[in-house]
Amino acid sequence: MKYVGKSLKRVDGIKKATGTLKYVDDMKFSRTLHVAVKGSAHAHAKIISIDVEKAKNLKGVKAVITGRDFSGNSCCKRVGLYLEDKTFLAVEKTIYKGEAVAAVAAETKKIAEEAVKLIEVKYEELPKVTSARKGMKKNAPLIHPNLANYKYAPIFFPKPNTNISNHFKLRKGDVEKGFEESDLIIENEFYVPPIQHAPIENHSAIAKMDSDGSLTVWASCQSPYAVRRALSVAFDIPLNKLRVISPAIGGGFGSKAGTTLEGIIIPLAMRTNGRPVKLTYTREDEFVNSFIRQALFAKMKTGVRKDGKILAMKNEFIWDGGAFTEYGVNIVKAGGYASTGPYEVENVWTDSICVYTNHPVAGPYRGFGMSEIQFGIEQNLDMIADELGIDKIEIRRLNALKAGSHTSMGEKLDMCGLVECLDIVVGEMDFSKREKSSKPNKVRGKGVACVFKAPSMPTNVASSAIVKLNEDGTAHLLVTAQDMGQGSDTILVQIAAEVLSIHPDKITIKTGDTDHTPYEWQTVASRTTYCAGNSVKSACEDAKEQLLELAQIKMGIYKRDLELEDGHIASKIYPDRKMPISDLALGLTLEDGSGIHGPIIGRGVFIPPNIRNADKKTGLGDKPVVFWTFGSQGVEIEVDIETGQIKVLEVVSCFDVGKVINPQLIEGQVEGGIVQGIGSALFEELIIKDGEVKNDSFVDYKIPTADDMPKMTIKFVENPEETGPFGARAIAEVCMVAAAPAIANALHDAIGVRVKTMPLTAERVLKAIREKKSN
Amino acid sequence: MSKVKHRINFTLNYEEAEHYIEPNVTLLTMLREDFDLTGAKEGCGAGECGACTILFNNKAVNACLVLAVEADRAEIITIEGLSNGQELDELQESFIDNAALQCGYCTPGMIISAKALLNRNSSPTENEIKEAISGNLCRCTGYKKIVEAISSVAKKHRGNSVEGAEKGGEEE
Amino acid sequence: MMKEFDYLKPSTLNGAHNLLVKHKREAYIFNGGTDLIVRMREEITNPNVVIDIKGIENLHEISYKNKECLSVGACVKLSEIPKYKDVTEKYAILTEAIHNIGSIQLRNRATMTGNICNASPLADSATPLLVLDAKIVIYGKEGLKRVLVKDFITGVRKTILETGEIVTAIEIPIYEKPIIGLFQKMSRRKMVDLSTVCGTVARINGEIRVALGAVSPTPVRGVKTEAFLRGKVLTDEVIREAGEIIVTDISPISDIRASKEYRLDMAKLIVKRGLVHIREGQLNWGEQSEA
Repeated sequence: MKYVGKSLKRVDGIKKATGTLKYVDDMKFSRTLHVAVKGSAHAHAKIISIDVEKAKNLKGVKAVITGRDFSGNSCCKRVGLYLEDKTFLAVEKTIYKGEAVAAVAAETKKIAEEAVKLIEVKYEELPKVTSARKGMKKNAPLIHPNLANYKYAPIFFPKPNTNISNHFKLRKGDVEKGFEESDLIIENEFYVPPIQHAPIENHSAIAKMDSDGSLTVWASCQSPYAVRRALSVAFDIPLNKLRVISPAIGGGFGSKAGTTLEGIIIPLAMRTNGRPVKLTYTREDEFVNSFIRQALFAKMKTGVRKDGKILAMKNEFIWDGGAFTEYGVNIVKAGGYASTGPYEVENVWTDSICVYTNHPVAGPYRGFGMSEIQFGIEQNLDMIADELGIDKIEIRRLNALKAGSHTSMGEKLDMCGLVECLDIVVGEMDFSKREKSSKPNKVRGKGVACVFKAPSMPTNVASSAIVKLNEDGTAHLLVTAQDMGQGSDTILVQIAAEVLSIHPDKITIKTGDTDHTPYEWQTVASRTTYCAGNSVKSACEDAKEQLLELAQIKMGIYKRDLELEDGHIASKIYPDRKMPISDLALGLTLEDGSGIHGPIIGRGVFIPPNIRNADKKTGLGDKPVVFWTFGSQGVEIEVDIETGQIKVLEVVSCFDVGKVINPQLIEGQVEGGIVQGIGSALFEELIIKDGEVKNDSFVDYKIPTADDMPKMTIKFVENPEETGPFGARAIAEVCMVAAAPAIANALHDAIGVRVKTMPLTAERVLKAIREKKSN
Repeated sequence: MSKVKHRINFTLNYEEAEHYIEPNVTLLTMLREDFDLTGAKEGCGAGECGACTILFNNKAVNACLVLAVEADRAEIITIEGLSNGQELDELQESFIDNAALQCGYCTPGMIISAKALLNRNSSPTENEIKEAISGNLCRCTGYKKIVEAISSVAKKHRGNSVEGAEKGGEEE
Repeated sequence: MMKEFDYLKPSTLNGAHNLLVKHKREAYIFNGGTDLIVRMREEITNPNVVIDIKGIENLHEISYKNKECLSVGACVKLSEIPKYKDVTEKYAILTEAIHNIGSIQLRNRATMTGNICNASPLADSATPLLVLDAKIVIYGKEGLKRVLVKDFITGVRKTILETGEIVTAIEIPIYEKPIIGLFQKMSRRKMVDLSTVCGTVARINGEIRVALGAVSPTPVRGVKTEAFLRGKVLTDEVIREAGEIIVTDISPISDIRASKEYRLDMAKLIVKRGLVHIREGQLNWGEQSEA
């Protein structure tokens, strides 16, 4: 292949390196109004009154809205991707501290902020839910008393009159029988705290309503079509009058997958007589008002045979969904259906429960479901190996999913590269050897983790692409898969270039405009190379077909004997018989001057083939997900036994991605995922006390710097995915998952302590060391 | 009560500039709002992320932690000053060649920090590079390719200087 | 968002002094700005007048005064200080601490004087300055006066500075014998983070001095620990005991960065590691008997 599999330079590289790419906050429109938001003062409180008079009267204020403006109004419908539980401003009561209760649009940001201070809100505090475990109990204060009336996709299971917005059940085999047959049963509890995506770009959006009722929203969002749909429902705007543009995204990781601040500025834009209104979150807002990752409390019971074979697993996962779980219910489902990890287990019983709390809204975060559960699964497995005296690699080899084995949901795998990946990791990192530290207070250790992830998306989500050939033989590729840094623009151009056989420089990709680029469900779930890639491939094949159709008339050669070759249509048999595709870009002109066909425009659509809903009662299904990406990571760490500080020295990783489209970019994805995983493993935690976020800044929420980067060896296996473009599968999320469990396992390898709570802070590690000593 | 605007004269990307500005405006806001130089980004407004890094009298600073009035008589270079039309700085080229950027939001600040490093130390070690960019947060890349991109420019410099020295030797 | 204020940039000390006297509590001294701008943005500090002292020329000097001390002018950027090789050699504990303050971008703006005047309990430059018996030079209505760092910081974000007073420099005594010492910093992230605990342990003029940060309302000298160590040979037992005594010198609290217990543990460790470092240093210098 000419372009697929090559390290093509990023197509967006120059604009990004020169700082000339315009992100939403960089955009300027004349007469823009600026927005400030009044956040609620309480985590759970009835709103008695909101007095906005003073704010309205402040010079320069153009519009003020509150949740009251919506109550009883058709434009305040609850919205949501999977469960329609969300409003953009608090209506009647506030359910997390900092939730928008009112917003102001004014001539300057300063005036808007001053006006917000003048808004007086009276509250009547309500009892709070600050823990998912307490919140799921029957007598807990209800956060969404009307849950029974909310709409939801029928694959979720909310429990009216409780705080449980989804209770996913997986029931496979006979778990009690499995435990009975087990030689060893171990049971552990793990806790994974909320973290935040921390993209360097904070959320930003601009909205403008024209006099004909059409509304344009510029937003830093991963999924313009999903945003368009949510906004359309919320504000009763028909889709043909609502245009969502996502010009560029400064990092997403899931935080920009849903709809957030767009819903606050639209009602303002509806009241400003055509003037654009703009809101950019501060870093503090970003930590509280975008999305955070759901915290997980996990109970895991595992039964094994003497030889290490897992016979039964019983799991209880309790997730802190925060104030709204419109997106979160699916995280809980994903964590639930993958609850065995990448291992074959015959008897499984899992309850995965999403609980409303008075915490910031938890939502999608890179690797959702998997990052959280695998922290426990992989540690449990190491503990079993220790107990049975089995090698930690061997126990993984023994239990690993393989071709022919069945996943947790009962799906039979035709192919699985997990053991292959594990073997490569073992080949790169000698787990049997303990490296010595040069310092007496430091000890080294190694750990391994195996991971998997399927795109967590509904069974029927669609993608599309259009390719337009220009009269000089160049092309425009239109998609709405968004490049938020992962490199999809480049990957999709490579796929198009390969099919059309024209140089990637000759293809310009345009994304992110619901009026002009074709439908894409969302840029999430590591699905873009696969789903958007398939639609691009098919659009280009369509264009190719049209070209060949015309060329066979022009050239007098059957199209089966023609192929595209470097901007030409050439005979497969006589390669010197060829014509440039540019000659056919606008159609074919016949000898008599008449024209046929018209411009070459390729259309490609894609929907993952043959994915079916799982059984509602058991969670089992023969083809519930499109595919799984498997992989393994090994890490070596050094622990300072006097401070508890962990330094990650080296990471070796290998994933079976089906086909590497761009070696340099995929390496970058994995490196980024590893370092993000290290951050979550070692120091990231959003500290929420009594409903209040205590570290909503980079001063006290630390993400890794260059110094935290370990030595990284990145490997791939390429067992093709039959339905993927050129065999490609997915990588973006799964590469983040293994870091935390592998580090936790390495810590135990180094000094014999188990830390079952993330992150593995120095203090927590030191405490574990002390406890071990005193025992 | 409205406070007086100050007149400031400074050099901005090698060109003389004159401007009137209120004291309570940061240099970052002035560059972005008044000069439309939006390469420097506001990621935190508190000097923690480095996305707003610019060169202030040839030193890397967080433009969010400088008052615009302080720019009087200063020499300021932003990311936009590193390229000239389609002619890119070697660091910009190297970031592209090494895929040292993903979402691109930290990139301008990151390249400016690298530029400041190479200005003061033309052949930094890997650790010196890591330290020089430790005030620039990147959430996408894991930093490896960024360090490689900077290293490769430094290596080129080293190569040139070695070559230069050898040549000098021959001439003697 | 920053509130409105007047920006004044006097060119003389006296001019700055007069402005401060005139505007009293409405005025704030503006130097590196890395702390004040953040506080103004968050509207924690809302000055009506900001007085930029960087226009005062002789505050930018770093020099030796009368062979008695090293004087670091109030406006000398943190990043300038380690550039002087003899400063790095003579006062390694100080330059190491400076190296650990924020990022390069921050050190290119922030000053040591600012770090001290902010009077944060965890100011990284404070513990080396404490053990070095550095003096703060203050310009006020009676001209210049000098105050030891330990007497300058009086509480969390509190100093003895009175209306109209300006710190012009920090003076660090010159010690004839080489200083053996160690600045240490424990933080969640190694680079660009606040100290969970920081401290300096050094042998200066034949005596061992200890100072710790982030364990009390102000950075403090380990007075009892120093008294205990006076005249003692640094045996394992002495080092262990010193680590216990330091606990009585400090009063850490629990916050989101660490618990009180962890801070106590780290304080002990800083003392232990510092003393071991001194012992090894003495061996290298062949001075074991002197301690």
